[in-house]
Amino acid sequence: MLVLTRKLGEVIRIGDAVTVRVLEVKGNQVRLGVEAPTEVRIYREEVYRAIRKENEEAVLRQAGSIDMATAAWQSQRDKH
Amino acid sequence: MAEPARQALTDTIPLHSERFGDFEVPADRVLNFPEGLIGFREARRFVLLEPTRPGSPFRCLVSLDVVELSFVVCDPIALWPGYAADLPPPADGSVGDLAALAIVTVPQNANDMTANLMAPLLLDSRTRTGRQTVLDTGRYSTRHHLLPRSE
Repeated sequence: MLVLTRKLGEVIRIGDAVTVRVLEVKGNQVRLGVEAPTEVRIYREEVYRAIRKENEEAVLRQAGSIDMATAAWQSQRDKH
Repeated sequence: MAEPARQALTDTIPLHSERFGDFEVPADRVLNFPEGLIGFREARRFVLLEPTRPGSPFRCLVSLDVVELSFVVCDPIALWPGYAADLPPPADGSVGDLAALAIVTVPQNANDMTANLMAPLLLDSRTRTGRQTVLDTGRYSTRHHLLPRSE
């Protein structure tokens, strides 16, 4: 991990196209401004991890799953 | 589903799957995800299979790049009125080409199945490209229950 210390208002550049600026420091919260081309995705890390984890859990492992899902869906429809 | 007449030299991509069998996927049925899915960067090309039962909202999204990788998906725009309004507009191209898939997690008890509405797969149906996109609104969960909870 590269560790840099920045003051309020200072910037870190990542590659040629991404910059991170320290906008505000208040208590234990740091407000960061990120500029990047639209094709570069920016995530809060915990959100990224939650999505990755959900993708991994969703991987179709059992042959019958889609049929079970359909059956559960149908039976719910049939109740109404 | 009847195949329309095709020229003899249609490009196809082979799919060898224990689960789905072996078949040739026509190039124009391939969905391209240039960045893969979150956590599955190498899974760039997929085919969306037809529903296994007529009227089922579920389809299988099968990877052509990673062996035996597939997902159950549904159309969140069709299932949740108002969802389309929360999707980001396409960077270019018309809104009419926008389609979405939500990955469904089917647990042991299928009644507890959930859809990831926070990170749908947004598709441009004209270019057949897709991208898993995180909705920033905080309104949606990665585990939205499809069926009412009965507890």
